[in-house]
Amino acid sequence: MNKPENRVDKIVSDLLHGRRLRLRGGDADEKAAIAAAARLAAARQGPQRMNPAFRKRLEQALELAPREPWLTRRAALVAGLGVAAGVVSGGLVGRTLHGAPTAQVQGGGPIDPIGGRWVDVAAMSDLVEGQGMRVTAGSVGAFVFRRGDTVTAVTSICSHLPCELWWNGGQGLLDCPCHPASFTAEGKSTDMAYPLPDLNTVHVRVTPAGRVEVLGTA
Amino acid sequence: MSAGRPPDELEAEPDEPGDVLQLPMAPRATDVALGELEIVYAFIYARVGNRADAEDLTQQVAMKAIPRLREGSPASAIRGYLFATARSVLGGFWSTRLGLSEVELHEDLALAVPQSPPSEERADTVQRILAELSDNYRRVLELRFLHGYSLKEVAAEMHSTVGAVKVMQLRALRAAAKVKVYP
Repeated sequence: MNKPENRVDKIVSDLLHGRRLRLRGGDADEKAAIAAAARLAAARQGPQRMNPAFRKRLEQALELAPREPWLTRRAALVAGLGVAAGVVSGGLVGRTLHGAPTAQVQGGGPIDPIGGRWVDVAAMSDLVEGQGMRVTAGSVGAFVFRRGDTVTAVTSICSHLPCELWWNGGQGLLDCPCHPASFTAEGKSTDMAYPLPDLNTVHVRVTPAGRVEVLGTA
Repeated sequence: MSAGRPPDELEAEPDEPGDVLQLPMAPRATDVALGELEIVYAFIYARVGNRADAEDLTQQVAMKAIPRLREGSPASAIRGYLFATARSVLGGFWSTRLGLSEVELHEDLALAVPQSPPSEERADTVQRILAELSDNYRRVLELRFLHGYSLKEVAAEMHSTVGAVKVMQLRALRAAAKVKVYP
């Protein structure tokens, strides 16, 4: 089955049955043939229009999208518009309410919860080099990363829509489930054309006993 | 003062000028966007060959393009932007699926904006590709892709074996990939 003709025929067969392109390691060697197969499979179907159900979903997505797409959750909170977003984002509310408004619109700043306290979230040995681990410190959600002896943390809430990010280990990125947006472990947006604000950082420290603590809430 | 006017006429009169200006605009903007996204969908489908991937990618394009769609730009500007976004999304799709950086993707995956509308694209594409191939290669691709034959049926039709047809199909696809689809 590892012969290229077998692998490509499997892809052709999937295409002819209307299935997704499922590619594996080694298929890159035949990328040109696979792309040609996709074109021919498409040509066989003739020009395509969107399925009515998909078109309806797309229409709803367009209408539900924020009117001001780059109005961040934080900016909405400053403007007094984001009660719901604030509830979702938990500990972020504290910082937003007592910080300087001009700084709050910018992403990437640290989260300083009111009455914050250090919360034990993991042992240093629990962290895998370069891999994100989701932790909670009271109402502050964060992803912590280890690089050697250094540990960093960013909020687990997207800087655009108030959705919980998830760690995409394969890509090494934090992905937002609510729209096509990804962030690096440093909290930087990967979209160069329309970069989103940086993720807020979360205070994190390692105790002499090798415990990882995050500044959260009681 | 308005007591003598029929009730429906009263209801038709807007309380605020904003009602008149805004209500007809919102659905129109969405409809224009959907019309352009139909073309984008056909463009993407023609390159990935299946509905599920085409829908995912079209949705990605739409989400990325929402700020521009809302600006009320002319349709031509929106279309140019949508196709630029679609090319970027397609590049990301292929590089992710194949485990390659986008730099490693070569001309065979070039995602040029078609000069003709999608409705004319199909005939052009197939004709151009098949016309450039040898008889055997053309035949195997015609039977497999245009007539939907199974490998076994193709083998019977071409008086060959399934194994040989698989190899010929791969070689034909490699040859097809070298045909310049768009001038």
